[in-house]
Amino acid sequence: MDLLVQVLINGTLLGGLYAMMALGLALVWGVLNIVNLAHGAFIMLGAYVSLYLFTYLHIDPFLGLPITAAVMFAIGYCVQRGLLNLIVRAPMFNTLLITFGLEVVLTYLAQLAFSADFRTINPSYAGDSIVLGPVVLPLARLLAFGVAIALTVGMWVFLLHTTLGRAIRATAQNLVAARLYGVEPRHLYAVTFGIGIALAGTAGGLYGTVSQINPYIGAALTAKSFAISIIGGLDNPLGVIVGGLFLGILESLTALYIGPTYADVASFGVLVLVLIVRPTGLLGKAA
Amino acid sequence: MKTLRIALVVAALVVLAAVPWFGSDVLIQFGINALLLAVLAQGWNIIGGYTGYASFGNSVFYGLGSYGVGIAMAQWHLPFGVGLAFGVALAVTFAVLLGIPVLRLRGHYFAIATLALAQVMIAIVSNVTLAGQNIGLVLPPLNNDPLFYELSLGLLVLATLTVFWLTRSRFGFGLIAVRENEEGAEVMGVNTTLYKTMAFALSGVFCSLAGGIHAYWVTFIDPESAFDISLNVKMIIMAVFGGPGTILGPVVGALSLSAISEFLSSEITSLASLFFGIVVVAAVVLMPRGLADMLRRFRKTGWRYFAENIRTHRL
Repeated sequence: MDLLVQVLINGTLLGGLYAMMALGLALVWGVLNIVNLAHGAFIMLGAYVSLYLFTYLHIDPFLGLPITAAVMFAIGYCVQRGLLNLIVRAPMFNTLLITFGLEVVLTYLAQLAFSADFRTINPSYAGDSIVLGPVVLPLARLLAFGVAIALTVGMWVFLLHTTLGRAIRATAQNLVAARLYGVEPRHLYAVTFGIGIALAGTAGGLYGTVSQINPYIGAALTAKSFAISIIGGLDNPLGVIVGGLFLGILESLTALYIGPTYADVASFGVLVLVLIVRPTGLLGKAA
Repeated sequence: MKTLRIALVVAALVVLAAVPWFGSDVLIQFGINALLLAVLAQGWNIIGGYTGYASFGNSVFYGLGSYGVGIAMAQWHLPFGVGLAFGVALAVTFAVLLGIPVLRLRGHYFAIATLALAQVMIAIVSNVTLAGQNIGLVLPPLNNDPLFYELSLGLLVLATLTVFWLTRSRFGFGLIAVRENEEGAEVMGVNTTLYKTMAFALSGVFCSLAGGIHAYWVTFIDPESAFDISLNVKMIIMAVFGGPGTILGPVVGALSLSAISEFLSSEITSLASLFFGIVVVAAVVLMPRGLADMLRRFRKTGWRYFAENIRTHRL
């Protein structure tokens, strides 16, 4: 019983981080209709930014997150403005190819710049935990979970209640009408992609404090982010939280009861099932 | 003009077939890889180029073909030919069982569902004892590169002739109708589910045969390499680079990209993959309809061709 509770807690903590990873993907997909296969590579890049801030400037990985976010926002803005804006109206297939190409470029640039070694962001409190009766809460995971949930909820508030958030949602709904109301789409697309990449980068910084990173982690994280966005639906950040928690708990339970090697079968199997049964997501609007 | 083109293709084929007699070992080995990639690109062309369904799951067929040969030869000690047939049977079963539900999805959702299927297959095969779990299988070695080369070339010819037949058959027109307007095709009486599933299965047959030949050639398979997703992306890029939905486009794309990447990896080893990514990005921006379309239109418009592509697709 205690083991089950512990596994559920681990799954929940993992799920919060998953939700945060998928949030940027869902935002870019839902608003810009760009399916970003390079999403995981940006998560990886964010992890390295945090790692370098910590290793060379001795900035605490959690306090350094705003800097990571700012750096990643700038990268994302430039990528959208300079590259992806060029193909926004091309067939959807071309956006898949270009973002995949981008994933390859980022992965190998990272390999050249950071080497292929496994690294971790290891602050002094990395091994600390809070013990509550029979269950153990690892401090870094708990902090990562807290930041992830706070940012995800913050994102929801931002999209619903700020002028920029409204402009972003308006663009998603009707590009022509948004333009008539004075929204500059080239800039707005770049800002939206920038926010998505900043979220991915922040998630990467958090990921680096609880897991090992190397230049190749991107592809698997992209796939996981897809699973979460599809399970949760694209139109609602709270759906992404539910999707992330669901996947985190599902993976932990599968690892406990069936075997760790089946964790991926479970998450991708559920993804395929959800796609077949309800392609707009469990919480998404019906098509 | 038409006879000239046929003569050119035949001449190129004769030169390709003669490579084992005059080429070095390195060239023959490069050739096997390049020809098998071309088969994959051509196989993908049937579902992706003609039917318009962006399959990211064709690497599953390749993996099933590899494992068909691997299991038949390493576990059951059956001949290579039986292994190939077993692999094809696995691929067709997969295409029919999973194709029918997954092919109902459109656009991004289809692409992602097939991507996820590939991930599921890696994880499942890693747990199957018959398939050697995540350790893999070792096949009996056969040191005969010229044979593997001619087999690969023969398979590529077969795949290309099939696509040629497609463009002239009722079945092929049905697939193009699905790509251009699926609802319209349905209304016109095309059984779209049947057509899509058959295209998926046909595409799977060629990919699984390529996987089977590759498995026997390298004599070792494991889940990660047999179901490698980047292989799937490679075949898409090669088909798109050459011209999807054309007869020779995927072959030209595969052979030229393989040659470029081979040249680069011998010159600057670590930069070959990076280069591959850059080519993909540049090709999508500058020539989104592939080499075939570029060559056709470049004569008229010159460098403006690129600018025009950007202008039509940018925000």
